[in-house]
Amino acid sequence: MTELLLNSIVNGILLGGVLALLAFGMNLIFGVVKIIHLAYGQCVMLGMYVVYTLAVQMHLPVILSCIIALPVMGIVGLVLQLLVINPLLKAKANPLTQLLALAGLTIVVENAAQVVWGADLRGINIQLPLIHIGNVFLRTSNLIAFFGALLTLWGLYLFLNRTYLGLAIRSIAQDLDSARLMGINPRMIYFITMAAGGILTGLIAAFFSPIYAVHPHFGGSFTLMAFIIVVLGGMGNLLGGFIGAFIIGVVTSVSAVLTSTEIADIIVLVIFISVILIRPQGLLGIRVSK
Amino acid sequence: MAATLTVILVFAAVGVFPYFVPSPYLLHIGTLIFIWSFITTAWSYMGRFGLVSLGHGAFLGVGAYTTGLLFNFYGLTPWVGMLLGGLAAVGLAVVIGYACFRFGVIGDYFALVTLALGEVVALTLIAFRDITGGSLGFTLKSKGTSLFYFQSEEKIHFYYVSLAFLILGLLVWKWIDRSRMQKALRAIGEDEIAASTLGVGIIRYKMVITMISAFLTAIGAVLYAQYITYLNPHTLSGVAPSLEIAFKAILGGMFSLWGPTVGTALIVSLEEYFRVVYGSTFVGFSQIIYGLALVLLIIFLPKGIYGSVQDWFKKKA
Repeated sequence: MTELLLNSIVNGILLGGVLALLAFGMNLIFGVVKIIHLAYGQCVMLGMYVVYTLAVQMHLPVILSCIIALPVMGIVGLVLQLLVINPLLKAKANPLTQLLALAGLTIVVENAAQVVWGADLRGINIQLPLIHIGNVFLRTSNLIAFFGALLTLWGLYLFLNRTYLGLAIRSIAQDLDSARLMGINPRMIYFITMAAGGILTGLIAAFFSPIYAVHPHFGGSFTLMAFIIVVLGGMGNLLGGFIGAFIIGVVTSVSAVLTSTEIADIIVLVIFISVILIRPQGLLGIRVSK
Repeated sequence: MAATLTVILVFAAVGVFPYFVPSPYLLHIGTLIFIWSFITTAWSYMGRFGLVSLGHGAFLGVGAYTTGLLFNFYGLTPWVGMLLGGLAAVGLAVVIGYACFRFGVIGDYFALVTLALGEVVALTLIAFRDITGGSLGFTLKSKGTSLFYFQSEEKIHFYYVSLAFLILGLLVWKWIDRSRMQKALRAIGEDEIAASTLGVGIIRYKMVITMISAFLTAIGAVLYAQYITYLNPHTLSGVAPSLEIAFKAILGGMFSLWGPTVGTALIVSLEEYFRVVYGSTFVGFSQIIYGLALVLLIIFLPKGIYGSVQDWFKKKA
């Protein structure tokens, strides 16, 4: 039993790494564009279909397929900004309307995927060796995803803190009007943020592809998971999201072993509801009076 | 006066329709439209005052499963079960509603809490698979055509029963419109803080409307389950049905009496049209168009189809 528990904790931490990356993308978009990207998991799903199409249907090497998926998903992010988010911002839609529009978008993406790729499970079918250290079994694909995600997060941290563009993005997130007065073009930054968020979905898709098989409803649970982490850590709080991801990763993984996957999901959802009710600013957030 | 006459004529036409066109298929579509219109109308009681719930699937699931399980295991008549299911849904609404309203959760956050609630109910129904049949759902024991057990092999029975329920739902809307509650809720919806300084009991009014909405939604789910005689957690709870209810109402226009009905009729007919014309090869196709139409409408016509048409006529007059 302790072995099982140890295994699930380790796997939860590994899962937490990728979830942290997922939550980072959603958090960044929320912080900068001020939109809850409710179709974020669905974008990851699209990225996985891109990898599948390139690697299995067009027989390209898996690594190359994953690399191509990055710019493709970046373009998807730009298209979303152009066709959905810009009109929403222009119409001065309230947050609820934005949420509903993006929820409508998930229906479009999921069903488009079903029409194009069918409802069956699609995987790239590669076998990576299993590593075991002591009594803990680790899948290589999970390890790659974990370290890849951490490395990407480090890179993103440097990008946001050390580059001029990163500074512009952070200033837009902090105070839109002042940033505008400093000569930053918010429209441009929105596009860059959505493209970066899109590339991130492609990267996550590349990490997920060897682990999961994709199907049209694959994205929904990850959108929910990412959103729960974002709320847990405090909306727009990147460090909070990072910590939240590991909490949620370990909680799902351990409670799935102790009970069942459904009960594990219920526990996570109840955490989410409680956080919104009792501590809407998140674990690390500061309460802003309305 | 002319409007009332039109309404009576429309209902009379819908009422005698089966005698002129005795097609079981059209009766089936009509019944589905009535049941889901009843549910989306009940949803809009809340939605029109800014309480946009994305978790009405929770009330569907609690209502239908309470009734169905009591019937299958203890032979309890669905007429009593329906009331118990409705009360169970009200109980759930009280818990989540009070928590949300007490802590001032509104707008998009309210939508997200309810979305999670719908999923919690779905997962609970799946997790207790020994009783509920899990993801596969369960079939109601057949009693043939029985008024006592609220089952019928004749489609026409359900056609009229669900039409009656829809009329009831619309009358409740009218009743809310004439009540004090309507003024209070409208004030709350526009500016909660201003309303509370004027002495409007925010929590109380929100609770009452949520309870009414949950109760009738649960009743609608029982109606659907009795008609289809099969219960499944994915069609009666969780994210998908919850969003569908909200979207049908929003598409038609949740601020007007006929909006939810128009939206539901449109979506159900559209889905059927695509299913019949394109068959199963394009299963997702109607949904893509439906989703696109939704996104466009939400951005450009936030009052919905019926609401916008109504505005247009008002401007002309």
